[in-house]
Parts: sequence; C-alpha cells; structure tokens
Amino acid sequence: MSTLTSEAAILAELRCVFRESLGVDPVTPIDPATRFFADLGLGSIDAVVLGEAIQNRSGRRVPFHQLLAELGLRAQRDLEISELIAFLKRHL
Amino acid sequence: MPRITANGLNIHVQQAGSGPDVVLIHGLTGDLSIWFLSRTIPVLAETHRVTAYDLRGHGYTDAPAEGYTSLDHARDLIGLLDVLGIARARLVGHSFGAVIAVHAAVIASERVDALVLSDPYFPALRHLEDVSRWGHWQNFRRQAEDAGVTLSSDTWYDLTTFFDQVRQLDDERLLRFRQAVGLPGLKRVLRLAGTTCGRDSKLADGLSAEQIAGVLQPCLALYGANSPFLTTADYLIEHLPDCRGRRIPDAQHRAPEENPEGFVVAVREFLESLQPAENCEVCP
Repeated sequence: MSTLTSEAAILAELRCVFRESLGVDPVTPIDPATRFFADLGLGSIDAVVLGEAIQNRSGRRVPFHQLLAELGLRAQRDLEISELIAFLKRHL
Repeated sequence: MPRITANGLNIHVQQAGSGPDVVLIHGLTGDLSIWFLSRTIPVLAETHRVTAYDLRGHGYTDAPAEGYTSLDHARDLIGLLDVLGIARARLVGHSFGAVIAVHAAVIASERVDALVLSDPYFPALRHLEDVSRWGHWQNFRRQAEDAGVTLSSDTWYDLTTFFDQVRQLDDERLLRFRQAVGLPGLKRVLRLAGTTCGRDSKLADGLSAEQIAGVLQPCLALYGANSPFLTTADYLIEHLPDCRGRRIPDAQHRAPEENPEGFVVAVREFLESLQPAENCEVCP
C-alpha cells in the first residue's frame, strides 16, 4: 500500500479492505457519507477488525483504539466513512 | 486479524500491554469491541498484559452449533490460556462472562489469580432475582413490540425465545426491528440464534451455589448502582470467602457501556490492590 495522501486514494483503499477483510461490497458503492452501522449494518467489532486489516496492509501502527474510544462516547454509536478517512489521513 | 486455535476453535484475540496477565470476557450477544469502546484495554495495558477475545458464537470467533454452557466456555478459556502461554491470569468478566470466569476458577483454580465479576447473574442463583425490576429490559421490550417482536418479561434471559422470534421476521419487519432497537451486526445475532446458546446459557452445568461459594481467590462483585441483580451481588459478598463489593453509579446492568469511566476506574483500582502475582504465597 503506497503512501495515501488524498482522500480519494484512502476511500479507494477502504473499499478494497471492506470487500476483502469484512466481506462487505454493497450494491451502492461506499462513499464518504456512508455510515458504518446504519448503512452497512456493521457493528463495532467490525471496526476493530477493520483497524487490524488496515494496519496489516499499510504496515503502520494506527491508534484505532482512539477512534473506538471516541465511538464509545457517542450516544448514537455510528461512524461516517468520511470520519474514518480523516482519521487515517492524520495517522498514515 | 489475530486468530488462534484452542479447544478445537478458531478464536479471535486481541492483546496489548505488558505486566501481569488480565483476560477480559464479554457477555452474551456482545463481543470484545466493548473493551475498546469503554477504554478498558488501553487503560489496563498501562500496567498489564491484556488479552481480550470473542466467545464462541460471537464476534469473529467460530460458532459451533452446540456447547454454550459456562462450562463449555470455561474450557475454551483454559485452552486459550494454554495456547497463549498464560500460566495464571486475573479474569474480568461482564455478565455471563463473569459466570464463565467463576466456572474457570472452579475447574482450573491454579490458573486464576483474582476475579472481577461485573454484574453477573448465575443460573444456579436465578431464584434470587425478580427480573421485572430491570427497567432497561422493559424499554427494549417496548421497542421490540413496536417492530412486531414480543419478548417475554419473566424469562428475560430466555435468549431462545428472542432468537426464535427474530429469525422468523420477514425482511421488512427485520429492517424495522433493526432500526427500532438499533442493533448493529444483526447478522451476527442471527448466527448466534442458530446455536444452542440460548438454551445452554440457562444451565448451571455443574456451577452450583456451593461451587460458586467455594471460590477462594480475591473477587470484586462490581455491580451497577441500579442493577437488577443486587441480591446476587450481596449473595456473592456474603458467601465467598474473599469477595468485596463495589457499585458503579449511573449504571444498570451494562456498566462498561453506561459508565465506562466508572467501570474502568473500579477495575483498575481492584487490580492494583492485589498482591503482585510473583509474590503471592497464599494463592490457591
């Protein structure tokens, strides 16, 4: 996985990781507004596994536990792909 | 994604930190993500080697069709400790995870240093509790009813009925149900529903009141201030030789979700109060 600096590149990579690691490949492609739980029907355990997959592919340690802790603080526990992209852009 | 094979199963495991071993055990229909959402893992990893895993039938661990009593889960846990090279551990279990922790202490006492029991009810102690007091369950029932799923009030722990009903919902009602109760990962619940988990979770399978009271290790009976199971909490404190109690404010049955900061502080303080593992001369 080459250095990802643009959001478009990160999104493309995420679509790949979702498909290969989580078996998620919806008919309507994943875009920044897609919500992890409400739209993709995933759970927080999938966020844990996603974080693991991204670290394995990038070879970089990414502090996913911070993202999960933030998720834990929200009353409506959901995450938009755009937030995930922004988080990865900061840390990759 | 780290998976290890133990007791014939592929088990999803996460580990962090270094120090004395602590193993985190989630409850039924949950998974190890709660230990990230609540920050239990990063906080305990400052002073411990923390291991969290998904129970059989849950998360990313295999889901065999049968074998879901606390004894079955306890054997998985001991198998996991063997494969990971963990000689002894402090066990932190939530709800049925705490029942599993106690059962592990009964069948393999030499592997368990201490136990944090977060809001468990025990099949063998079920007669102590009046379940209609659980307000959270009543809300859940109302939401489920709005979506056409009727859940019993007297056997709230009767996951079998819940699972059976959810499995019979057509696509449209399933969507409404999912939206009404906000259950993420419904597919995973349906997978669990296809196992004997609901039936088996009601069985003591050898974990009698006498066995529970025979646990000698230091225990913390950690219950939400508004838990429906405070009679069980008092029972544990009174009958186990070395069990203290603590209440978590602003929590009912699900403290790691309802008051994660309160939960983590209580767990950390209890673990810090223990003798260092290496210096423990009186551990059984």
